[in-house]
Amino acid sequence: MADLEIRDLTVEADGAEILRGVTLDLDKGRTLALMGPNGSGKSTLAYAIAGHPAYDVTGGTITWKGTALTELTPDERARLGVFLAMQYPVEVPGVSLTNFLRTAVNATQGDGEDVPVREFMSRLRGAMKDLGVDESFLQRSVNEGFSGGEKKRFEILQASLLRPELAVLDETDSGLDVDALKTVAEGVNRLQGPDLGVLIITHYTRILRYIEPDEVHVMFEGRIVASGGPELADELEEHGYENLKTTA
Amino acid sequence: MTEFLLDDLTEEALTGRSDAAEEPSWLRDRRLAAFKRYLDLAWPDSRADEFWRSTPFQRRIDVDRAVVTTAPADVEVPASVTDGLDLGSATARIIDGEVVDITLPTAMAELGVVVTDLATAAREHGDLVRTHLGSLTTSDPEGTGGGSDRTVTVNDAAWTAGLFVHVPAEVELDAPISVQVHASTPGAHLPRVLGVLGHHARATLYLEHTSAPELDALVDEVVEVIAQDASKLDVVSLQRWDGPVQHLSLQKVAAHRDASIRHLTVTIGGATVRVLPECDLVGAGAEVRPLGIYFADEGQWFDLQPYVRHLAPHASSDVLFKGALQGHSRTVFRGNIFVHKDAVGTVTDENNRSLILTEGARADATPFLEIECADITAGHGSATGQIDALHLFYLESRGIRRDDALRLIVFGFFRDVLREIAAPGIEDVALADIEARVEAADLSKVQINDAALQDLG
Repeated sequence: MADLEIRDLTVEADGAEILRGVTLDLDKGRTLALMGPNGSGKSTLAYAIAGHPAYDVTGGTITWKGTALTELTPDERARLGVFLAMQYPVEVPGVSLTNFLRTAVNATQGDGEDVPVREFMSRLRGAMKDLGVDESFLQRSVNEGFSGGEKKRFEILQASLLRPELAVLDETDSGLDVDALKTVAEGVNRLQGPDLGVLIITHYTRILRYIEPDEVHVMFEGRIVASGGPELADELEEHGYENLKTTA
Repeated sequence: MTEFLLDDLTEEALTGRSDAAEEPSWLRDRRLAAFKRYLDLAWPDSRADEFWRSTPFQRRIDVDRAVVTTAPADVEVPASVTDGLDLGSATARIIDGEVVDITLPTAMAELGVVVTDLATAAREHGDLVRTHLGSLTTSDPEGTGGGSDRTVTVNDAAWTAGLFVHVPAEVELDAPISVQVHASTPGAHLPRVLGVLGHHARATLYLEHTSAPELDALVDEVVEVIAQDASKLDVVSLQRWDGPVQHLSLQKVAAHRDASIRHLTVTIGGATVRVLPECDLVGAGAEVRPLGIYFADEGQWFDLQPYVRHLAPHASSDVLFKGALQGHSRTVFRGNIFVHKDAVGTVTDENNRSLILTEGARADATPFLEIECADITAGHGSATGQIDALHLFYLESRGIRRDDALRLIVFGFFRDVLREIAAPGIEDVALADIEARVEAADLSKVQINDAALQDLG
């Protein structure tokens, strides 16, 4: 049994069916790319895994390490090691970035005991340095007034502090210039290892040049229509999604 | 002893008290002049008085009370914000009808700072007190306070425990001057504070309101502060009543040329609390930042009415009040900006934000602008909302439990206001009071605004 097992998943949002039976496996230690054109349902899958309240799972299952995720609240999922780096990170006005991160770290790793402040701050400063985030961000509010690129960096910074076992990266490369993309990709590569499964959701192959996937799956109209190795991404780069649409 | 009733003041009682306190004759005469206005006025009628329209006076304020003129010998007073801070603050306590416990650090005394009871000040600093006491209320019938209602006039006539604060010209104080107004016995309390900052002076004034638990009292308070040319003043008023106190507070400042004032009110406790943070911008280039946060719970009624009068050119004002509500509570924000025809170059903005946490709470917001001058920049706005489902999801998706997420969001709602005044101890106390509120809340009843979810589809 795979660590993450998605079986025949159907999901609705605002009354419209978006996922029409998705089946996918991901083991820790593996990196999987989910590609597809806009509107194919990639982000919906990401949100369904994280438990976004706007998405209703109408059928099928998402099982993570043997637990049915769909029965859990978003915070419970996160405490089981599930992390979603969002395509559009939410600005939460006034909520201090430092307080937010500390509360999240304590919730996911504390084992009931808070991580000591000094240790937390030193880990935070280290993560900021790795990702090229200026220390002045410590004084800011969560995502408030961040540029698109800053938001994406901050998502990966959170991943590195929360130490997830499943990281879903939804269009993490959009909004990043090539230097920022390299920095962020390095951040992701540092996290990779036998204890982390990575699901990269992307429209373009650009990010896959820096984070190499073990498998590539292609989604179209709410279903997986093609699966293969990294070479599948190269094919898509060359021919686009048009061919797939005819085969789907 | 003559009876001293809020609703039935007598000339005999006022004269007797004034003489007993050895007040100068001009002060007694002023009380009697106010008394005459008191006799001419009725208590506010919420149907007729636009400033009382949102708060039913007859139902929320009980004036049938004796005025409390003394303080019991052994009162347990809650610690004040400055008690725990080693700042070298000047402190004073007004307990019920008396000024007690004035502490003026030597360092401040040597700079000429005065903190003393108002009757003493009227004798020893007669010119200052005579010039300024009531100058923003009814002692100047032509002034902006000349038409004050009876809740102010009654204090002008009959104030009991008064405090005088003077920071001389060019004296800059880092440590706050902290005034704790504590009510321990039922009845009507009439505290009074007069502050004068000389030109280029700088000071922070804390007004902290506390009470005995479950106390049923009416506190009718008037605070006047005159900020002379180029002075800098921070006023922080904390309403931390521990019981069904009714609190009417006019906190009025005058900003002379280039003076800069920030005024923060934090309202947490009390059954009915009506605070009027007012500012007359009387000098060119003056600026004022009226700020307020409030958190109303079951049965509470808070009425916040900041009023800024632009009476001189090139002055600026920026009003920001934020309130959270839960249970069956009511908040009223009535902001007023008046711009005189001569106040060219005025820049003003006023905003109110309300966060409704549970069903049954109601927030009224009416930001008013009254503009006689064309050559100005003005804005105003108000918004009422609920916890945003997307904010909640973002925090929860990081493993943060719902109650912690709600607390972070509520703190975040108030944070920008609290951070504007880096007044020692205030943010901690305010957040602790807010946290206690959030802790006590029934989180299962919190309403979530999921409108934003529909856009994602």
